[in-house]
Amino acid sequence: MKQVFQLPPWAISTESTLYNKTGSWRNYRPVYRNRIPPCNNACPSGEKIQQYIDILNQEEGLYKAWKLLTQDNPFPAVCGRVCFHPCENSCNRSDYDEPINIHTIERFIGDIGLNEGFKWRLPRVNKKYKIAIIGAGPAGLSCAYHLRRRGYQSTIFEADNKLGGLLSQGIPSYRLPQDIVQAEIARIIKSDVKIHSNTAIGNEYDFDKLLKEYKTVFIAIGAHKEKKLGIPGAEHPSVIPALEFLYQLCAGKRVKIGQRVGIIGGGNSALDAARSVLRLGKKPIVIYRRTENEMPAILDEIQEAKEEQIEFVFLAAPERIIIRNNKIVSLECIKMKLGQADKTGRRQPIPIKGSDFKVGVDTIIPAIGEEVDTSFIPGSFLKVLDDTVSTNYEGVFAGGDAVTGPKTVVDAIGAGKKAAHLIHCYLRQVCLPVGASEKPVVFEDLNTAYFEHETRIPSGKLPLSSRLKTFAEVYQGYEKPQLKQECSRCFSCGVCNKCDNCFVFCPDMSVNKRAGKYEFDYDYCKGCGVCVLECPRNAIGLVQEER
Amino acid sequence: MKFTIPQEENMHPGHLACPGCGGALAMRLALKALGKKTMVVLPACCWSIINGPFPYSAVKVPLFHTAFETAGSVSSGIKAALDILGKKDITVLAWAGDGGTFDIGLQALSAAAERNDDFIYVCYDNEAYMNTGIQRSSATPWGAWSSTTPAAKEEPKKNIMDIMVAHRIPYAATASVSYPDDFIRKLKRAKDIKGTRFIHALVCCPTGWKCSSEISIKLTRLAVQSGIFPLYEVENGLKYTLNKPQQISPDNKLIRSYLGAQGRFANLSEKDTKKIVADIKSEWLRLLNKIEGNICIKQ
Amino acid sequence: MKEVMSGNHAVSYGAMLSRAQVIAAYPITPQTQIVEMLSEFCRTGRLKAKFIKVESEHSALAACIGASIAGARAFTATSAQGLALMHELIHWAANGRMPIVMADVNRSMAPGWSIWTDQNDSLSQRDTGWLQFYCESNQEVIDTIIQGYKIAETVLLPVMVVLDAFVLSHTSEGVDIPEQKLVDKFLPPYKPQYKMDLNQTLAFGALVTPDYNFELKYQIQEAMEYSLTLARKVDKEFKRFSGRNYGLIEPYRCARAEIILVTSGTITSTAREVIDNLRKQGEKIGLLKIRMFRPFPAQEVIEALEDCKKVAVIDRNIGYGVGGILCQEIKSAFCNNARRPEIFGYITGIGGRDVTPDTIMEIVIDVRKNNKADNRIKYVGLRKLR
Ligand SMILES: Cc1cc2nc3c(=O)[nH]c(=O)nc-3n(C[C@H](O)[C@H](O)[C@H](O)COP(=O)(O)OP(=O)(O)OC[C@H]3O[C@@H](n4cnc5c(N)ncnc54)[C@H](O)[C@@H]3O)c2cc1C
Ligand SMILES: Cc1ncc(C[n+]2csc(CCOP(=O)(O)OP(=O)(O)O)c2C)c(N)n1
Ligand code: SF4
Ligand code: SF4
Ligand code: SF4
Ligand SMILES: [Mg+2]
Repeated sequence: MKQVFQLPPWAISTESTLYNKTGSWRNYRPVYRNRIPPCNNACPSGEKIQQYIDILNQEEGLYKAWKLLTQDNPFPAVCGRVCFHPCENSCNRSDYDEPINIHTIERFIGDIGLNEGFKWRLPRVNKKYKIAIIGAGPAGLSCAYHLRRRGYQSTIFEADNKLGGLLSQGIPSYRLPQDIVQAEIARIIKSDVKIHSNTAIGNEYDFDKLLKEYKTVFIAIGAHKEKKLGIPGAEHPSVIPALEFLYQLCAGKRVKIGQRVGIIGGGNSALDAARSVLRLGKKPIVIYRRTENEMPAILDEIQEAKEEQIEFVFLAAPERIIIRNNKIVSLECIKMKLGQADKTGRRQPIPIKGSDFKVGVDTIIPAIGEEVDTSFIPGSFLKVLDDTVSTNYEGVFAGGDAVTGPKTVVDAIGAGKKAAHLIHCYLRQVCLPVGASEKPVVFEDLNTAYFEHETRIPSGKLPLSSRLKTFAEVYQGYEKPQLKQECSRCFSCGVCNKCDNCFVFCPDMSVNKRAGKYEFDYDYCKGCGVCVLECPRNAIGLVQEER
Repeated sequence: MKFTIPQEENMHPGHLACPGCGGALAMRLALKALGKKTMVVLPACCWSIINGPFPYSAVKVPLFHTAFETAGSVSSGIKAALDILGKKDITVLAWAGDGGTFDIGLQALSAAAERNDDFIYVCYDNEAYMNTGIQRSSATPWGAWSSTTPAAKEEPKKNIMDIMVAHRIPYAATASVSYPDDFIRKLKRAKDIKGTRFIHALVCCPTGWKCSSEISIKLTRLAVQSGIFPLYEVENGLKYTLNKPQQISPDNKLIRSYLGAQGRFANLSEKDTKKIVADIKSEWLRLLNKIEGNICIKQ
Repeated sequence: MKEVMSGNHAVSYGAMLSRAQVIAAYPITPQTQIVEMLSEFCRTGRLKAKFIKVESEHSALAACIGASIAGARAFTATSAQGLALMHELIHWAANGRMPIVMADVNRSMAPGWSIWTDQNDSLSQRDTGWLQFYCESNQEVIDTIIQGYKIAETVLLPVMVVLDAFVLSHTSEGVDIPEQKLVDKFLPPYKPQYKMDLNQTLAFGALVTPDYNFELKYQIQEAMEYSLTLARKVDKEFKRFSGRNYGLIEPYRCARAEIILVTSGTITSTAREVIDNLRKQGEKIGLLKIRMFRPFPAQEVIEALEDCKKVAVIDRNIGYGVGGILCQEIKSAFCNNARRPEIFGYITGIGGRDVTPDTIMEIVIDVRKNNKADNRIKYVGLRKLR
């Protein structure tokens, strides 16, 4: 019986389809390309939030997470407590259910770092360069830290006897315990940063002299000059500016206030003053020109003030302080209504004629804002250039509240980081890009089919009853199981977290896993795009083939 | 959420499925679930092409190409032979399209099911004769275009699950590659049962459904979510279990986005769409009734 | 051991002695007794086989195909409508080189309904790649089934063993049942080189492009040709233990014959009687029995017939539009042969009409008086309608 060459008796296949390189069918090629998660993008200090959450999710250890976090921000324990967390506002999860509780995760990592005494491994100091920093607030300290990471030693001049700027001169301890602040500062100082405290530039030390001696200066003096209330009676000794009031409290001093305290303003200082007054056993009344919606204080604080049943008088502006027998008896106010929105988008208050009314108070704390005081810089004023950190003085940089006016801790930290970068560029005469400006992942980019709805895990919190009479910290943070649960909610926007979806759904077995990484097998991938769409986090792109 | 699917890959790339073929993925997942001790019986269907021409094959298990209508009967024969030859631990997997199942192969399948012959029958349902160029089958849904229903199909889709369940086979289930964990669980479960086991898997054919390939998985997921293709299991023709109930909500919006993404439904009028939505809702209620019926059965 | 049994039972015994492992069949008169008896054999365990009680002949052959590709010896039996229903799979089995053995009880095709014999059912499958044997007796049936497996499993082609409805299927004769031990020696267990096997992971029957298909079909023809030689060898081997053999064709009393009748199936037995009588009367007449129809043993047929003057081919079938099918085959066999007898074609016995010695005599008388053959069909036993 004859058979033809090597043929089997009939159509019996012995070979595999591997011969058929279906990659040639492809018009589009999938590519792994991590994108910028919006949380990272929103963080002024540039924390890699998604990434440290991922480290926790993959159980790669708290140290690794801490190390990564503090690459960008040396104050996780502080920021975990007081940051107004723009990251959470832009968290994609808020479009799904509730944002990731990033700041409480950050706080946990920060606290662990302190408790466990985690240390950085920093490069050796290069003594060739001398850099001075004016002000040991978050901006100044962040700059010192980031310079140190690059091998520069800096010298900080601080007017006060305590380091930390408003962290230790303003924010009350029920929100930010001093030991936390000081521990995180100490870690920076210990890394070989020189300190001259009680040394105000302008008073104890001349600015020109400083400039001659150091050549490179970062000005981070914050905004401490209180705006004047400017109404009749404002000079009365029972009118205590908010910053001064809080400064005294932070310093552990007793401040003399009456029974009913009128606090004027709607920012953080106002609310901190009001809540502190409450904790001193007195009655605070917050008087604000606009409504709750326009209050510049961070949302959490407004929420808590309301929980603590602090009295608010909205749409009222002080007209004059009524003093009898040398004592303040009341504050005369005028009612306001909201008019057109101004440039900042806030609606302007307009007085309603003849609507005067009185609020019975015996002490007044104005908290109507602070300004920058650059009077120590002789003969001229500081002009900050486009990049918001460089100035019109050669070798002089400035950042934080000193440039922006009263803003936030993390903005100050970010400014310090940016300054360190620009100082590095200045000293080495190089120009490095500050960061990529790719579009971050938006909610619509995600495939949420793979996410279950899960409520946000709140931070532990003191019960209301036990927090009204003490300055004990209100928030308690997470225990480990809560940390784990909250981290697992993260979508990992734009960044592959090895969920396997691309591997699972490829009809062409063209996703290979090698050494924990994914690779496309372009020999066979047909470019169907299934993996692109089924990647829950948009970590795969599709690019046109050039053929 | 991370899927835990077997790493073992029992299929080669280089196969001839169109980009994004849900049927190709279905086989890949099924062979992962069933493992190497499997023999595939393949009647005429797209998969007869997908698996590659002579002398090639895409699957890493033995496979027999057979006549269009014979998946049920040939599988019975193979299983009988394996039994008599003492090879009892091999799973015979009949793998047929909707044409080979709902239409031409129904008789042989029904007979095998009535005999309760011991194999797994998977119908990968792409809702038309795709191999021959998108002609309607009795699985084509009402209102869909096909090359033999150039306006739209005027008859509703046959309910193959009801037919198979009526045979009181030990296990019948619907499955979707859009839910790989569920899909694999069902095949593994089927593997551990003796007798005729039937799996009805809706899969997207981007070519025949006239949609872009990347939404292949998304569409069959929508089919589940919208109640068009609910996932459920039936044991012994009696006990119904609904899977992933929290995923399913037969609502207007989901059904419309399912229809809207497919060119084969492009000709639907608003009235047609309303009818489809109404039909899906009533089918869904019918299913819920059956599930409730469980309560009456004392086992 | 000798036993009196019908043709249908002979089929069942043949399958049992061959140790068929998977049987799938569907009842149809006149084959039903085969299904019944094999069911019984399986039930009692006389035969260790799986009997799949399918819902149709189509599924019967499909199941046999499945069984065969999985490495089992498969058997089925059918008739007429059932055979026609199998048609697609008849090709499948042959093109898939599956050594299945099937018994076909010849029955006239409907409509109108008929249960009586003629050969149109099996002959319409003649070009499918199946070997076909037409049996004359119940003994030959049982023996041919056993031989069939032996041939099939060597050449990898399916075998059809054909017997006439009622005349054989329901008629009892003494049959010598071969000893199982001897059959086992003759027909060892089926051990195919290619089968569904976890260690081989082959795919069977994929799309074949024009690049290969011609060669694959050519191999079938090669196998067909080889099976002529093989069938002769197997037949001789069979004789060694049973004392019986049949040949692919059987010339009967053909020595110096001037007229030779050509028959197949049970008409052969009737014709033998007529030939015996005529020979007694000194007439130079003989008989050629065609046992193997596919592959057609053309060379043997030529050698058996080329020396006589006239050949009368008796067909119990009609190739509509042409004539008797056996006659066509013989004519075409002689087409390129220098010496050629006159070939007369007779059609008789259609639809089960009796073919008696008188019918055969009518044919003999007709051949005697005609010296030149033409292509006109001669009907015997056809009632004149006008
Ligand atoms: C009551 C209060 C509550 C706040 N709560 C929050 C909050 O919850 N979250 C948040 O993000 N932000 C909050 N802020 C804002 C935040 O504290 C500031 O934006 C941030 O501290 C600015 O940092 P900085 O380093 O720029 O300035 P600062 O923190 O103001 O530090 C400046 C430092 O420079 C020193 N200095 C000033 N002049 C000189 C000089 N001439 N020579 C030497 N040293 C000098 C100062 O003593 C000070 O230590 C709050 C602010 C206040 C007042
Ligand atoms: C008896 C017979 N009739 C028709 C065909 C042609 N044919 C091959 S596959 C097919 C359609 C298959 O449809 P389906 O089972 O739905 O599988 P699909 O191709 O859609 O995957 C047809 C009509 C055939 N092979 N056999
Ligand atoms: S879900 Fe995670 S990665 Fe995405 S924005 Fe929120 S925190 Fe960042
Ligand atoms: S699908 Fe999952 S594994 Fe694949 S790229 Fe996206 S995140 Fe990574
Ligand atoms: S799913 Fe597979 S074939 Fe499709 S684009 Fe991705 S890697 Fe390529
Ligand atoms: Mg189909």
